[in-house]
Amino acid sequence: MQHTPSIARLGDDALLIRFANTISWEVGTRVRAAAAGIRAMEIESVTDVVPAYTTIAVYFDSARITLDSIVDTIASVVNTNASVVADSSAIVEIPVRYDGPDLDDVAERTGLTVRDVIARHSSRTYRAYMSGFVPGFAYLGDLDPLLVVARRSVPRLRVPAGSVAIAAAQTAVYPFETPGGWHLIGSTTLRMFDVARNPPALIRAGDTVRFIPTDA
Amino acid sequence: MITVVSAPPFATIQDLGRFGFRDSGVPVSGLADRDSGLALNALLGNDPNAAMIEWAVAGGVLRFERDASVAFGGADAICALNRAPLQARVVYHVPSGSELQIERIVRGRFLLIAIAGGIDVPIILGSRSTLLSARIGGAEGRRLRTGDSIATGIAVRRVGGDVPLATAARNSGPIHVTRGPQADLFDDLGWSEFLGAEFIVSIASDRVGYRLDGLTLSHTGDTAFPSEPTCIGAIQVPNGGSPIVIMNDGPTVGGYPKIAVICKSEMSRFAQLAPGEKLRFELTR
Repeated sequence: MQHTPSIARLGDDALLIRFANTISWEVGTRVRAAAAGIRAMEIESVTDVVPAYTTIAVYFDSARITLDSIVDTIASVVNTNASVVADSSAIVEIPVRYDGPDLDDVAERTGLTVRDVIARHSSRTYRAYMSGFVPGFAYLGDLDPLLVVARRSVPRLRVPAGSVAIAAAQTAVYPFETPGGWHLIGSTTLRMFDVARNPPALIRAGDTVRFIPTDA
Repeated sequence: MITVVSAPPFATIQDLGRFGFRDSGVPVSGLADRDSGLALNALLGNDPNAAMIEWAVAGGVLRFERDASVAFGGADAICALNRAPLQARVVYHVPSGSELQIERIVRGRFLLIAIAGGIDVPIILGSRSTLLSARIGGAEGRRLRTGDSIATGIAVRRVGGDVPLATAARNSGPIHVTRGPQADLFDDLGWSEFLGAEFIVSIASDRVGYRLDGLTLSHTGDTAFPSEPTCIGAIQVPNGGSPIVIMNDGPTVGGYPKIAVICKSEMSRFAQLAPGEKLRFELTR
């Protein structure tokens, strides 16, 4: 069922469009389609269009355009239930060495063998719902329901760059060494965010992602 | 060129920020006290977006390796040039070899040190601003260190143009906010507590976020609230916890309800509040 999206201000320089209150694949698809539609309008003074699980933020230069004017401009795109899926066709393959320090713990919590954890994590095709936390950190879903475990009660102060991790129904790769509360099940040598590339983020919202087990 | 003779614990190079990459999780960054930065660039005849040094916490020394026109502002600080005391928001023409001594910051948090021509570090994703989490911008994506050499641009305009002299005077009084996307999760009592409280800027505050002590707030929201985009100045409230204000290097998305957002015109003043300083909020419009 589709709700009419609501639009609220997010400070003086942004507005937030809400499509639903709960996460689902269908809502995510609609969010990304609408975000692509808004981007395609190339509204002058709009600096960023950011899709998330159930919302889109549109950031603009309030010295040059008003919030009401943007709302009027984007209304048709937002309220159309776009049947065309605007997701990119890009498939990002990430070689993973399943050597994470939490692998045994995840196996214990889920009642699976380590081998099964690896098989279930690497056999799925994931979609990037959104990016955030730090540059290049993409929230990928949906995880195999049997792998769903709550995040660690005590976050690590330092998670190494390249760590492949899971928490709740999501999986992700840490692009940089940061604090983090997800369970670390593996690692990759790929650079998830590199300003020498265009675009710099290896995974962007809407991309399809696969993890490829590797020994190297 | 400028040599960092003695660096403080925290100084970075910033301009007005990095736009267009928030969908990849890249925060805007940029000068926390944007208003003071704009005023200094105007004073020096710079482009409004010229990069400068955002200097915090303690004193230190910079040496100008060629003749330069410089000015500082933002936080109140005791500064001297070759031992002669200086005033804020005044352009000084300093000969090559001069040393700027920053004795200490007296009030506020970020001292801005600007030079005619701006700081000339590489532009990364459209900005010279330092973002420590991604190791980009500024001086190789990190804080300034003692011994660093910082390239400066060429001054293109005559300095000392028409300058808004009122920049020294900052408003006092409550910080104005607008209602946030989750304002309705807080009932009348919650709102009256929020607007009646005297908050104290926590020591746990930096360019990522400022935690505010003095009142914990509860809300009726679902704890499994899906993460959604944030913005600079968003006041996030973990349930039963202290509010956290998202600052320039803060995360682009977050899962805590946002009760309110600090008005853009108030962010520079808010950013200059040092740990221990008190504030109140007032709802506008």
